[in-house]
Amino acid sequence: MNGPIRRMASLLFLGFGVLLGALTWFQVLGADGYRSDPRNVRTAINISGKERGLIVTGDGTVLARSNPDPADPQAYLREYPEGPMFAHVVGYTSRLVGDSGLESAYRDELRSRRDLTISDVIAALFGRDLRPENVLVTIDADLQRAAAEALEGNRGAVVALDPSTGAVLAYVSSPSFDPNAFLGAPAVTNRQAVLDDPAEPIRDRAGTELFPPGSTFKTVVAAAAVESGIAGPETAFDDPVVYELPGSTATIGNADGGPCGDGVSVTLQTAFVRSCNTVFAGLSVRIGAGAIGQTATSFGFDRAIEFPWALAESRFPQSELADDPAALAQSGIGERDVRVTPLQMAMVAAAAANEGEVLQPYIVSQVFDADGNAREVSEPRVIGRAMSPATAVVLTQMMERVVTSGTAQQASITGVRVAGKTGTALPEPGQPDVWFIGFAPVDAPQIAIAVLLEDGGPLGESGTGGSVAAPIAGTLMERYLIRGDSG
Amino acid sequence: MTRDLQPTLIIGAAALAAFGVSLVNFAAQETVNAQVGLTFGTVLFAFGGVFVATRRFAPEAVPHLLPPIAVIAGFGFVEIFRLNPYRAGLQRWWLLIGAGLATVVLAWISRNGLAALRRYRNIQLLAAIGLLVLPMLPSDGPLPIRGLEVNGSRLWIEIDLYIVQLNFQPGEVAKLLFVIFLASYLADRQPALTGAHRRIGRLTLPEPRQLGPLLLVWLGSLGILVSQRDLGASLLLFLVFVSMLYVATGEGGYLVGGGVLIAIGGVASWQVFDHVQRRVSAWLDPFAAFEDAGYQVAQGIFGMGTGSLSGSGPGLGQPELIPNAITDFVFAAVGEEFGFAGTVAVLGCYALAIATGFGIALRSRDRFNKLLAFGLTFVFALQTFLIIGGVLRVVPLTGIALPFMSYGGSALVGNFMLIALLLAVSHEEASR
Repeated sequence: MNGPIRRMASLLFLGFGVLLGALTWFQVLGADGYRSDPRNVRTAINISGKERGLIVTGDGTVLARSNPDPADPQAYLREYPEGPMFAHVVGYTSRLVGDSGLESAYRDELRSRRDLTISDVIAALFGRDLRPENVLVTIDADLQRAAAEALEGNRGAVVALDPSTGAVLAYVSSPSFDPNAFLGAPAVTNRQAVLDDPAEPIRDRAGTELFPPGSTFKTVVAAAAVESGIAGPETAFDDPVVYELPGSTATIGNADGGPCGDGVSVTLQTAFVRSCNTVFAGLSVRIGAGAIGQTATSFGFDRAIEFPWALAESRFPQSELADDPAALAQSGIGERDVRVTPLQMAMVAAAAANEGEVLQPYIVSQVFDADGNAREVSEPRVIGRAMSPATAVVLTQMMERVVTSGTAQQASITGVRVAGKTGTALPEPGQPDVWFIGFAPVDAPQIAIAVLLEDGGPLGESGTGGSVAAPIAGTLMERYLIRGDSG
Repeated sequence: MTRDLQPTLIIGAAALAAFGVSLVNFAAQETVNAQVGLTFGTVLFAFGGVFVATRRFAPEAVPHLLPPIAVIAGFGFVEIFRLNPYRAGLQRWWLLIGAGLATVVLAWISRNGLAALRRYRNIQLLAAIGLLVLPMLPSDGPLPIRGLEVNGSRLWIEIDLYIVQLNFQPGEVAKLLFVIFLASYLADRQPALTGAHRRIGRLTLPEPRQLGPLLLVWLGSLGILVSQRDLGASLLLFLVFVSMLYVATGEGGYLVGGGVLIAIGGVASWQVFDHVQRRVSAWLDPFAAFEDAGYQVAQGIFGMGTGSLSGSGPGLGQPELIPNAITDFVFAAVGEEFGFAGTVAVLGCYALAIATGFGIALRSRDRFNKLLAFGLTFVFALQTFLIIGGVLRVVPLTGIALPFMSYGGSALVGNFMLIALLLAVSHEEASR
């Protein structure tokens, strides 16, 4: 009988060998993967009481820090001193409701390494610093604050970029929430309250939500027209009262219901400055979905833009529009099928300011260690060319005229040359999404901006890009430029 | 290892458990409290007591069995104490009761001899069956013993002693009776079972008549699965039977036949029962069913992965996130807080104990003793493999207690008696 006993025993120990193999996978080889799985809340629980790095702006404003817990000498409490002002940028890290924003994207850099995972122990053996690293953001705290105040009480977003580098100067989504409420025990209730708020403060309207761009999209169409040689600023177009959509009896009219110019003919420049739908609808069909789509893609549409969190992809569905000239005409004036994020429209303005080059937007300028040494530094990076420098000059001239004598006169700044374009999209009747995109100063651009307010902002259904978004953009750019000169 | 090392090792195991409890105390920001001393005393008293009993009643017993078991029990106790101090208090009593019953078993066998177990064979079988069906008693009946349904399985009885209510899993004791019965039945019937064969090509098959008992036990196991919804007990019972039949006869055909029957029973129950389907899908991909059936397995894996090499330290992890962390998933809890170091130590202790058990079986000359030692060791080893394998996704999860680690009095009592029987066999064979 000993033979069978030996065989059964061997079989069982073979099984134990398999158990040891499985253990080796779960606890050694694959352990880091299971530890960092987003559904594994242990990491969040472990991090919650531990020291985390700072998130700061260039002027030293602290956006996130860890303070010693008065109740527990070994623990730390996270604090977001600026509260709702930076909520969509900084995000939060909570042991109960997870993490978001930079707190999530830079969780490995911000965490303390004194928790004895294998990779950390090995790193420590090689002399690695186990203290948390810190994140320096590109945001201009003063501009961010001013933008948040300007949007107070409205739903909307402001994104400002440094056109020569791609650095994000302001990233505001309104309304916002207080990330401090997501810390500690009431996190779940508080988060539910934020989720239940009909104004939807949790939504990041600056970068992860899509809106129809309205007439601000005419900058893309105009760039495509000039770039492809189909039209220059002085090219004359027919000036009808309404544009009949191809293959349909429906029509498109201008904002004031009349013709764009004298009713006979109008130049591209005038049509752009007065934001004439009739001209741009027809022009879009003439340029074609392919050429507009190509320009849009080079601005950043229809592709994933690298960012600390997943941005919504702005879209211009060129293959669908190629067979549907009526839809193309409507999309050419920023309605129907075109959807954008405010960040994307700020990139459009920045590209015009930057001689046609599209720069990678970035919001973290560097990661530095506890001793202040830089660990990672962001460098400006060109990710595409939307138009030739010559086209950019033409587009900038037309955009400047929009501010000096067109729809965006309220964005003008005394003593500073400003270029811009307004937009008023009507996805729902009576609830216009009002826009301004632009940059300043024209001769040496320092700031490019996109301002969006839902539902016409404070003016409601009578709000337009020119009357609501343009003045906000003007004020913000002026504030940034004046302070830049004095400081 | 000499005999003299045993007390030292048992004291070491008790000290280890006490040290673990003191670390849990520190982790909870408390100073060391009386629990440390109580733990040391309990482990020392329980296993030291069994050791003293072997000196008295089975002096020739193997010395390698008790120390690894004491270490395992210590690890399990620390984790139970860390997760549920109240239950740990109960577990402490069960450790002492189990050790007491082990002593009684050793004393009884020393007086009557192991052969005495063979006298009451049929009564044992009836008692085993009776114990297995006991939980089917109505849960609201007038009797002082009532069936209980826990987590969808009907394995428990509630004994109402008027002063105190006791919950017990009679299946844990039935397992032992079943093994004793099989050992004595197979020891007598071996010639009949090995006699005639039928050959089909290269395959040697037993006579159909001899397959009768195999089918009978198979049906019985399925009966348990259907009536009590207990995958683990059903599988355990059938596998023990098949392997003992194989060892008694040396006929590989029984293993093949048993394998085929398990496959048939498995597929059939997978098709019929929701709870089997849930278990299987949770086994194949626990992360896909994370919100549902796979949650427990996934949390166990997250815990063990987070514990990694050295673990969080007792009291510093989050094993409370794992459902049933003190019973079925105590191994994952140990993995989270003691790390790979702790789980390998535990696995090594089990391997040592099991190897010792098989060694006893191999050295036994008496057929009954041999089969008994093998059967007991196999039950112990298979339970260990099935539940750790379930936690580690090697096999589908079955609700089986991890011997000497999981919280639960019935399992502890049953396993203490199992160890006492093994010690008795080793003593009798050595002193022959």
